Amino acid sequence: MQGKIIVISSGKGGVGKTTATASIGAALAMGGKKVAVVDMDIGLRNLDVVMGLENRIVFNIVDVVHGRCKVQQAAIRDRRIENLYLIPASQNDNKDALTPKDMIRISKELRKKFDFILMDCPAGIEQGFENAVAAADEAVVVCTPEVSSIRDADRVIGLLYAKEIPPKLLVNRIVPAMVEKGDMLSHQDVVDVLSIDLVGLVEEDNQVVVSTNSGNPIVMQDNSKAGQAFKRIAMRLNGQPDLPIEVSGVSKSFWKKIRSKIGFGK
Amino acid sequence: MLNDFMKKFFGKSSSKETAKKRLQFALVYDRLEVSDDILKDMKNEIVAVVSRYFVIDQNQMKLDITRKNDLSALIFNTPIISAKARQRMA
Repeated sequence: MQGKIIVISSGKGGVGKTTATASIGAALAMGGKKVAVVDMDIGLRNLDVVMGLENRIVFNIVDVVHGRCKVQQAAIRDRRIENLYLIPASQNDNKDALTPKDMIRISKELRKKFDFILMDCPAGIEQGFENAVAAADEAVVVCTPEVSSIRDADRVIGLLYAKEIPPKLLVNRIVPAMVEKGDMLSHQDVVDVLSIDLVGLVEEDNQVVVSTNSGNPIVMQDNSKAGQAFKRIAMRLNGQPDLPIEVSGVSKSFWKKIRSKIGFGK
Repeated sequence: MLNDFMKKFFGKSSSKETAKKRLQFALVYDRLEVSDDILKDMKNEIVAVVSRYFVIDQNQMKLDITRKNDLSALIFNTPIISAKARQRMA
């Protein structure tokens, strides 16, 4: 097995990196792949709670790197989704506990054991970022349609290109009604500004908060728009790039739109 | 598309247009932030190339990155003391 390492990054915090990592990982595993999601936010771990696996942590990524345990011992198997494993971050160390060299070394072992390894990158562009991207083959840059997030995404995209890691963009938390009114940047605007290929669009969805509350994977809910969007993103990352990237839009007919624009009806 | 049309119609600009313009402006500026080392290297290389053709006053030369309106420009300004006799390479 020669697994692929994908880093999920963003620059800015709070745009949905961890949710995206958990969801895409779960979706890939549901598609039959053996997946490891790795929390690279040393000292501020969160992927475990988002996935509902916080009570089962014994070892972590720092233990693996320092030879205190084997990969198999640190990887927590998700009991709901077959073939999904979490390698948690350590909560007591800081980012200096790892180096990019360490990551390249253990990535060889991870590639042998898994089809996909998703690295949940911490916010920022310092040591934690360097560690998370060190062994990556590809990158998914997550941003929301807001100026601060887009600006930080641009910085990260620049750094990834400099490291020859091809990035793709995930636009998260789109509110179609606001886009429609011209009060939120559309995904096309974001693409124009960042000039980068899209990997997917995710709508703002209250279900994400609800499922995170209980630590359930959002992709297992068929009625969740965000969950379904993450599923499609996983399919694209799994080599189905022809899958159309759906524009999340308010479902209105063309004529209704025109009428609402010129002020008749709503 | 429709928004652009309506904008022309009513002369109103949506907040996202403002956001997009501000972002495009900010990013051009961000991307231009070149480190001093890179600038120094580039200066040396430009001097090397120009010196093949002209004798220049290296103490007076200036290399700047400036912005005017929507354009960014790299300005290399140097007094020329004399042209060098061109020697063809074999």
